Amino acid sequence: MTELWTPDHGAAAERTRLAWRRTVLSASVVGLLAARPAFHPDAGPREWVTAALSALGWTVLVALAYRRARGLGRRPPHPGRRTIAAYALTTIALAVLASSVVML
Amino acid sequence: MTKSASCGPAILTEPVDNRWVFGALRLWIDPEKTPTVGRTPDYRFSLANERTFLAWIRTGLALIAGGLGVAQFLPPLPVPHLREIMAIVLLVLGGLVALRAVDHWARTERAMRLGQELPGSRFPAVLAVAVALGAVALIVAVLIQAAG
Repeated sequence: MTELWTPDHGAAAERTRLAWRRTVLSASVVGLLAARPAFHPDAGPREWVTAALSALGWTVLVALAYRRARGLGRRPPHPGRRTIAAYALTTIALAVLASSVVML
Repeated sequence: MTKSASCGPAILTEPVDNRWVFGALRLWIDPEKTPTVGRTPDYRFSLANERTFLAWIRTGLALIAGGLGVAQFLPPLPVPHLREIMAIVLLVLGGLVALRAVDHWARTERAMRLGQELPGSRFPAVLAVAVALGAVALIVAVLIQAAG
């Protein structure tokens, strides 16, 4: 398998790496919007905690994507496994956090 | 990819996963090892599946960003709590899209390993109809506000 490696003609690894980068950009938009209320003049502990938690979620999303993008540099690339489940669950956690903030 | 073959919950119909209460969760976390089935597909197929997952995650993140935007930037609407309801609907929809993205990714990965037909899904159509209905509702609301 490893010795029969041929060049990445379809640029599959490259395109997947760029897809991770795009996803990080989308996650950054969510992270910035979720942290925004903490910078309001009337912001209290609730806004600070929310911003800290969403910044934590954003950090996880960036770190996972960075690690996966680096892993794609291997020849041949391994399919993603736990990273993908972790990414989806972190995204869901952000949605739950934002929903609870809106509801409370 | 045909829609007819396996629209149902494939996880529940397969005896291997029935033993596990968290069968779906196990499948998500390690579709290759629960159990080790079939053979590793061409890595390009796996990466294509991964890119499809990422495209769905971006869709979910966009819905979440939309929900946050509605909650933060929209002025209070004439109908009480309508702004909050719209935000919650968008946020829940974003979470659902992410949940379904990982489930579909895991089922596709498993089907590729087993050489089975890829799982079909009605979810894209359902999401499209939901977004279209939301848009129609907003157009009606804007027209009513403009008239009254």
